[in-house]
Amino acid sequence: MKPRSVVFLAPKQGNSEQEWEDCAAGSPGVPGRGGNPRYIVADGATEAYDSLRWVNQLASSFIGVDAPELTPESLRRWFAQMQELWNTEAPARASYIEERKFAQGSFATFLGCELVDLAGRRPAWRAAALGDTVLFHVRGGRLVAHFPALRAQDFGLNPDGVHTSPDRLDHMVGKLRFASGEIAAGDLLFLATDAFAQWMIRFIEADGLKLWQVLSRLDHPLSFERMINTQRDAGKMKDDDVTLLRVHLVTDNPAFIVTCLP
Amino acid sequence: MYDQIISRRTPGCIVFLLDRSDSMKQQWGGSSMTLAQGAAAALNKILLDLCIWSTKEVGGAVRHYFDIGIFGYGACPIAQTEGVESAFSGPLAGQSLVPLSVLADNPVAVREAPSVDIGAGHARIPVWVEPVHGYRTPMCQAIATAGAHVFDWAGQHPASFPPIVINITDGMVTDSPHDGATLDEWAKRLTTIETNDGAALLLNIFLSPSPCHGVLYPVSPVGLPEPGPELFSISSPLPQKMINNANAAGVPAQPGARALGFNADLAMLLRFLEIGTRPTEILDR
Repeated sequence: MKPRSVVFLAPKQGNSEQEWEDCAAGSPGVPGRGGNPRYIVADGATEAYDSLRWVNQLASSFIGVDAPELTPESLRRWFAQMQELWNTEAPARASYIEERKFAQGSFATFLGCELVDLAGRRPAWRAAALGDTVLFHVRGGRLVAHFPALRAQDFGLNPDGVHTSPDRLDHMVGKLRFASGEIAAGDLLFLATDAFAQWMIRFIEADGLKLWQVLSRLDHPLSFERMINTQRDAGKMKDDDVTLLRVHLVTDNPAFIVTCLP
Repeated sequence: MYDQIISRRTPGCIVFLLDRSDSMKQQWGGSSMTLAQGAAAALNKILLDLCIWSTKEVGGAVRHYFDIGIFGYGACPIAQTEGVESAFSGPLAGQSLVPLSVLADNPVAVREAPSVDIGAGHARIPVWVEPVHGYRTPMCQAIATAGAHVFDWAGQHPASFPPIVINITDGMVTDSPHDGATLDEWAKRLTTIETNDGAALLLNIFLSPSPCHGVLYPVSPVGLPEPGPELFSISSPLPQKMINNANAAGVPAQPGARALGFNADLAMLLRFLEIGTRPTEILDR
C-alpha cells in the first residue's frame, strides 16, 4: 500500500495565489522518521504578521530531516526550535508600527500527520493537531473519523495554533491533541483548513456519500476552484484561504496523470 | 446581518465622536490625566492598535481595512468656536473620513510617552488627536455630522459591514433639539443608515471624573443615573459578534445588551473601544 497525495488550494476571493497564507506539504518518505510518509497543513492566522514565512518554515521542517516525532515532548522541542528560527531570521522592520506587529508575533494552526507500518500488519495514520485544521478519514464512502472532532459551530472561535512567542510554548503544548486510526487500501485522508473543513462537516450532515464522491474524484485545480467559488457565492463557505490535501491509499499505479499547463 | 468580513474589498468605517466640552478638563479620578487627555490617549492607542492589526507583510504598508473619522464637539480649535469639526490636525486637518493606510502615515507627532496599557512602560506613541476642551456639548450636531458622512460612505460601500459610530462623552447634551430634531431622533436617523449587512451602529460611552459603579453593556436602563437612560435609548443593541468578543475578553455581555458604557474609567474606555472597533473578522485582502 502506498499513498498518493494531491493538494488543492484557493486563495480568498480576489486574491492571487501568492497571497494564499495556508501551507500544505507532504513527503512520501521522511528520512528522519524511518521513511514514513508525512503530511502537514498549516493555516497562517489572518491577523498575524509575516504568516507566509511562518507556515512555510513549519511545513518544510515537518517533512525535513529533523522532523519531530508526534509526541508532546518532541513537538515541544520542535516548536521551540521553530520559534527561535523565526525570530532570528526575521527581516529588518521598516517602521515602529511594523516593530510593534513583529513583537506580537505570528500564529498558525497546525495539523501534522504520519503514516506508519504501510507494509506491515497494522498500517495507520497518526496525527497531532493544534487548532481547527481537520483530518477526515474516509472508507468506502463513509466517514470513519475526523480529527479534531469539531462541530460546524466550533470554527472561528479563537482557534489554538503554533505561535512564534516562546511565552506561549507551555500553553501550546497543553492544547495539542493526538489521534490515530488504522487504514486500509482504498482509504482516503483529507486534511483541510477551517473554511473548507467547516463546509465539509456541514455537508456530511446533509449528504456525506455525495461529498466523498465529489472530493475523491477531484482531478484538476480548476474544478476545485469552480467548486469553491460556487459555494462561496451561495454563502455556504466562508471566504477564506482554502486548502485541501488528499491522500489516497492505493496499491496500483495511477491510471492517468493530470498536467496543469500555465 | 453583521456578518460581513472586513477586507480591502469591503473595508469598514469607524467614526469617533469626541466630546471636547469644558467639563472634559476635569481630572480623571485614579489617573494623572484630565478626561480630555485620557480620552485622546485612549483614542490614539486604539488607532495605533488598528494600524498594527492591519499590518501584515514585512515592509508592507498598513492595509486599507477601515475608513476612519474623528469629530470633536464642543470646542473647535480650528474654527475657534463652539460646534463640530474634524479632530484631525497636522497633515489630515479638516478631513472627514480617512483611509487607515493614510492615517498611519500622517500622525501629528510620534512621542515617547507612558503607554495607557495597564502595566506597560513608555512607548513610542503616534498622536493623531490632541486633548481639547471648552464650551458646551452639542451632541446632536455631532451625531448629525457623523450621519452625513456615514450616509455617503454607506452608499459607496453597500457590501461592507455597516458603519460604527462611537461617541465618547462626559456630559449632558446641550443642543437638543437641534435643527428640529431631538438627540433621540438624530440617533434614529443615524442608525437607519444601512449597508446590505445591517444598520449603522451607535456606541456610547459616558466618562465619569470619579468613576464608581461603572456599567458596561447593560440590558436595561433601570438604575442608571442621568444621562444613562437617554444614552441607553440611543445606543444600538450589540451585534452577536461583539457580544462574543466581549465575552472572550472577559467582559460579560448578554443577548439584548446595549452598546453603552456608563461611568467609565480609563480602563473601561479602552476595553469599550477595543471591543467596539473589532466588530467582525478581518480577512486579508
